[in-house]
Amino acid sequence: MKKCLPAAALLLLILGGALVLRLAPYDYAFQDRDATMAPSTARHWTGTDELGRDRAVRVAAALLIGLTGATVAAAITTTIAACFGLLAAFSPASIAAILMFVSDIFLSLPWLFLLMMARSLLPLTASPLETAVATFLVLAALGWPACARAIYRGASVLRSAEWLIYGRACGLKPRQLVRLHILPHLRPLILPQFLICVPAFVVAEANLGALGLGVGEPMPSWGAMLLELDNSALLAQSHWVYLPIALLVAVLLILESFAREGETNA
Amino acid sequence: MSLPTTILARAGRTLLLTLCAAVGTILLVRFAPGFFSDSLEMDAKYAQAARSEIQAENNQQQSVIPIAIREARSWLKGDFGESREYHVPVAELIGPRVRVSALLLGQGISCGWLLAVCAALTISGLRRGGLVCGLPFTVLLAIPTAAMATACILAEAGGPVLVLSLLIAAREFKFLRNLLEGAWRSPHLLQGRAQGLSPRALVRMHILPNIAPQLCALATLSIVTALGALVPIEVIFTVPGVGQLAWSAVMNRDLPVLVAISLLMASVVAFAGMLSTRTLTLEVE
Repeated sequence: MKKCLPAAALLLLILGGALVLRLAPYDYAFQDRDATMAPSTARHWTGTDELGRDRAVRVAAALLIGLTGATVAAAITTTIAACFGLLAAFSPASIAAILMFVSDIFLSLPWLFLLMMARSLLPLTASPLETAVATFLVLAALGWPACARAIYRGASVLRSAEWLIYGRACGLKPRQLVRLHILPHLRPLILPQFLICVPAFVVAEANLGALGLGVGEPMPSWGAMLLELDNSALLAQSHWVYLPIALLVAVLLILESFAREGETNA
Repeated sequence: MSLPTTILARAGRTLLLTLCAAVGTILLVRFAPGFFSDSLEMDAKYAQAARSEIQAENNQQQSVIPIAIREARSWLKGDFGESREYHVPVAELIGPRVRVSALLLGQGISCGWLLAVCAALTISGLRRGGLVCGLPFTVLLAIPTAAMATACILAEAGGPVLVLSLLIAAREFKFLRNLLEGAWRSPHLLQGRAQGLSPRALVRMHILPNIAPQLCALATLSIVTALGALVPIEVIFTVPGVGQLAWSAVMNRDLPVLVAISLLMASVVAFAGMLSTRTLTLEVE
């Protein structure tokens, strides 16, 4: 029961977000010019931002965009890491050393600096949707080295397992060995890597957004919402400005509890 | 392998890693789809013909090999080129900022470690309530650095050092606590407790000497964590350090500055990695 609580809370948040987006009469980009920086009113329950956009709708959209993007990016990065780690573990030592050196090159630059550099080099004229896709793709493309190292270490142990030698002796093809035996054995290692990546990517997106390198306006994102906190006039109007950051911390706590549980089970 | 050979091999690997990171930066910047984008192209006051001229001028100077040769030549002379944005030698631009960032890193890492060690020592020795006591660190871990920095500015309390310390403390607390909990449960400590040794004596005489190599490895890795957090912290608090310069270079596609900062960061990270591996290897030996 205790273990189901975070999952239930996350499901509730996602359903709540979807419901807000479904029932609200405006979309996230709609500007109510008569109600800019409005406090909580009957029309806008959680107030509006400096452009008159409904905060509840934008927070709900940011929640769903952030979670979907981070989950897809984590799935891509874990797949790349699994392929890379397995390739290194089952290759001759010299090739494994080269592959791990490549992963070390990526790890030799601080994660946020690397992300920032890669994300900023995209064209200046990209549409908001393109910037959102680019941001999460950059996260997926640069997040794999640490996971690949962990999977490589786990897979290296399996290389000399008796059941693997037996499988080879029985004439199983490498692809069959990977699909039927190696991947199921590595699942307890791969799943935690995926669960660790999701909150890490949400945080990275928020940090990138706060530096002006995240998802482009008017598409809502956690990073763009954090930028709202710089507006002191808005802060004086309503305490609802703090809603995005409070929700972000709650989501991250839930995601991190999943990651911790995954690590414990592994 | 003898110790000098191992050290030489590690140093060679570190150097190679650093160079690869710099070359990787050049390639990344050069082949990124937005490399030819220039803020001048977006400026409405320029006519189409002028924009095409700007683009053509940029294209002429932007082949990979000339860039790499130019950069390598200037590195050998100890010169990192001239900033495209500020029109100042990169070395002059980075020098004073390195001092500011190093001071911030030093203060942040020391305070963070002090906080993490004190909390982990106290909490790992508790028989009950460890989870509740560790809750603040769990919450801190869930707050993005940029949000923490903005919160400090809004509350008009603390500054870059506090944010960096909290971040380091939150990250290291988890590892330290696991390390110390394992140490407290070891049989020789139980024996020590049974003989009536005080907790302070146990920590000083048994725990700290045993976990010292892992602590050193963790401490060097803190540098990597802190370097990553440096950019949002310096940008939000407007600290004139390397992180802020990196952000400005990234925003303005200032290649010479970006390559120099990549080289600097990669050498620090690779050196920290080498130290942490070496410390652990010595312990195993």
